[in-house]
Amino acid sequence: MNMPSRLLFWIMLPLWFLGIGHTGYGVWIFMKAELAQHLIERAWVQTQNEQRRIPPWPWADTWPIAKLRVPQHDIEMFVLSGASGRTLAFGPGHVSSSPLPGSIGTAIFNGHRDTHFAFLEHMQAGDTILIDDIYGQTTPFTIQDMQVVDARQSIIVQDESHAQLAFVTCYPFDAITPGGPLRYIVIGTHHASST
Amino acid sequence: MNIHHNRETAYLTFGLAHRLTRVRGNSNITSRGFSSYHLLLFIVLTLIALLIVFTTDAYAESSTQHTSPHDATQGTLLFRSSEGLSYSPAPTVETNAHISITGLISRTIVRQTFQNPGPGWTEGIYVFPLPETAAVDHLRMHIGDRVIEGIIQERAQAKQTYSTAKREGKRTSLIEQERPNMFTASVANIGPHETIMVEIEYQETVRYERETFSLRFPMVVGPRYIPGTPVTSDESLTAPTRLSDGHGWATNTHQVPDASRITPPVQHPNQKQLNPITLTIDLAPGFPLAKLASTYHDIHHISNNTTQHQITLQEGNVPADRDFELIWEAEQEHTPKMTVFSEHFRDETYMMLMLMPPSHMFADHVALPRDVTFVIDTSGSMHGSSIEQAKLALQLALTRLTEQDRFNVIQFNHVTEALFSSSQPVTTTAIQQATLYVKDLHAEGGTEMLPALTQAFVQHDPTTYIRQVVFITDGQIGNEQQLFKAIQNDLADTRLFTIGIGSAPNSYFMRHAAKFGRGTFTYIGRIDEVQDKMNHLFHALEHPVLTDIDMTSTENSPGDITPDRIPDLYVGEPLMIAIRTEAGSEQLHIKGKIGSKVWEKSISLHDALQRRGIATYWARQKIMTLMDDDMKKQENSPLRQEIINVAMDHHLVSRYTSLVAVDVTPVRSSDQTLAPHAIKTNLPHGQDYTAIFGLAAGGTSGPWHFTVGSILLLLAWASMRYHRSAS
Repeated sequence: MNMPSRLLFWIMLPLWFLGIGHTGYGVWIFMKAELAQHLIERAWVQTQNEQRRIPPWPWADTWPIAKLRVPQHDIEMFVLSGASGRTLAFGPGHVSSSPLPGSIGTAIFNGHRDTHFAFLEHMQAGDTILIDDIYGQTTPFTIQDMQVVDARQSIIVQDESHAQLAFVTCYPFDAITPGGPLRYIVIGTHHASST
Repeated sequence: MNIHHNRETAYLTFGLAHRLTRVRGNSNITSRGFSSYHLLLFIVLTLIALLIVFTTDAYAESSTQHTSPHDATQGTLLFRSSEGLSYSPAPTVETNAHISITGLISRTIVRQTFQNPGPGWTEGIYVFPLPETAAVDHLRMHIGDRVIEGIIQERAQAKQTYSTAKREGKRTSLIEQERPNMFTASVANIGPHETIMVEIEYQETVRYERETFSLRFPMVVGPRYIPGTPVTSDESLTAPTRLSDGHGWATNTHQVPDASRITPPVQHPNQKQLNPITLTIDLAPGFPLAKLASTYHDIHHISNNTTQHQITLQEGNVPADRDFELIWEAEQEHTPKMTVFSEHFRDETYMMLMLMPPSHMFADHVALPRDVTFVIDTSGSMHGSSIEQAKLALQLALTRLTEQDRFNVIQFNHVTEALFSSSQPVTTTAIQQATLYVKDLHAEGGTEMLPALTQAFVQHDPTTYIRQVVFITDGQIGNEQQLFKAIQNDLADTRLFTIGIGSAPNSYFMRHAAKFGRGTFTYIGRIDEVQDKMNHLFHALEHPVLTDIDMTSTENSPGDITPDRIPDLYVGEPLMIAIRTEAGSEQLHIKGKIGSKVWEKSISLHDALQRRGIATYWARQKIMTLMDDDMKKQENSPLRQEIINVAMDHHLVSRYTSLVAVDVTPVRSSDQTLAPHAIKTNLPHGQDYTAIFGLAAGGTSGPWHFTVGSILLLLAWASMRYHRSAS
């Protein structure tokens, strides 16, 4: 081998490693999001039976609090307690400073735009979202509105006159780097009469 | 999975490959001298491609900000934007505080410099904290070299004065009290690129407990939890409270009718911190110091001699995101046991008495069985370092229980949950169970404090036990009045001890709650303080109390003494009273008891030292006592008028009185608009924005890794192909 060729080889080698590493890590993030939901499903069944907090794996600091269903888009997933970055890797998180879905006030769910909450992009006003709680009760919510807001300047106000649900995810949906300032918010309202 | 995303990445990489092949096709690769040139070209192109990927991403985000049709639709229903409606930039506020401490009295001058960076006219509205015992008695507005002295008026009238001047285009400023520890400064008609300085002066009393003197200067109002139903627009027509008269992020609710005034917009922690503060302190303690320290900031300390000290912040200016605390101690033999000061003001004599009951009174005692309920706040504002401090404090407290005691643990955020259905005898298993329970606590959620307090008070057991409730919280709530009422109604024989946690807690709430609960307030600001501060609390919990304190005077009319009912004293706490008399009392006789032991003391008031500020001290104490009584009564009670009278006589800002300053000449003509701006505040140090406001970032780094990985793989693949064809 001559010199440039050898040089090329040594440049190529780390490129392969780094390339595989990054792609693999990207795959792992999506796999984790997918796989975790299966583990959570087991915990959810137990949660509904025993009606207490069941962490999906022994060292988890979160537990499922609701099941979210969108029949139109064939979506079924489990919502976890709390909305820390750690939790959101495994499923959408319920912001605990907000009330539980179905009770008076605005329940807030956070989720990643590129994994669990990717379906939000296709939600339209009038669509129905169903929330199952740990007691087996189902509460239907009707999508009222979708908004793009700047997280640096907006705050969700707790309106305690009726039960609402706010889904919060990042915006735009196809951004490559995470952590932008914009949020996509989908608001659903529960009409007591429709139960 | 993000299908769009992968497709886009793939498209991009294909384009790149295509370009690369073209480059190679055009050049005739026969000579090997060209290979390194091509490699270089290849790398440069890749870097450009990478750059394009990230810049388009950024562009996508910024462009949607302008084009999104959803932006700001129905914004008023669910969202409140923290920015005003105008396009002019908000004024900035810099604060300089100068504190002069003489003995037990401290006087502070706070200078807030409002600077308008824009070409328009603005109004700045700044919600800021002061110590809860602050007696604000001066406002001066500085415009260039001119100084306009503020006058005291009834709150509604002051507001009117301000609004009129604002409309007429005159420079004006207004200081209002929202809570005893929270004030609003409004400054109107700040001209283009102009600076207006507002100077506020207040007096407060140094805290003296367990032989330690301390003074706090709070810097930021933490985000408060606002319970209740928003006041709707129909109701606001009849109700005394309006829909939203402030500029805060919360709307007024039935439980917190002034919520919009006490919730200043919060700067997102990703952006730079605001509101820098500089601080200088002159300390004349009146005795040689054994210790002088600042708890949360690094300080420079210069002593001119043994009695004069000057303190500044080591960093010059600091962002307003936590409380400042200065503590000092006297050398053992100089520790004050009693001081009496007096001041002559408008034909009347005002006095301040500090008396430390001898510590040996509390010494020997038989520990009585106790029934302790620990209540711990696990709401979102406790997230992070606060909950760790709270948990450690609680774990420590559990170890101090003995076998004769009973206990229970209650946690609350938006729901209340008790460890045991009722308090349990202290056993190894019960303590183990509690320790595990505390270890697993998470701080998330709202702050519905009332149900937790009620539950803690309700659980009643045989009366042979001393009932104690230890309440651990940062007190970040807006419905203080409601909670005070509940404490007074439900307390019975229980005593309530509050532990304040965090870098900027609502100490007004916690100190007052402890006062109504006949207990003590302990403040813990950092994890390394837990052990020390908790030991002080254990002292209070485990020692008897000096009760039934009564005062008699040799005169027929001892004058106006405040507080009118002297609270019980715990070990290390001094008796502090303020007196107003016409004649000047001769002698005071104080009596109290600890268990069966009687403590008596006679004090001659003849040789009281003359000191400025004693009249102000009395007035502030009087207003506090009247406010507490007023709380139980209806609006427009005679007490309201009495509070206004005291405040007006002593030039003090209170709930019902404000200071207002107006410049004479109009500067803004009526055709120029005025843009109001609520000044943003920092999030208190250690608090988590997402845990409080719930707008977490919602994207993974997956797509990024995919993109980078794909580009690298493509590069590797291209160079491999090239490597083969070249060799």
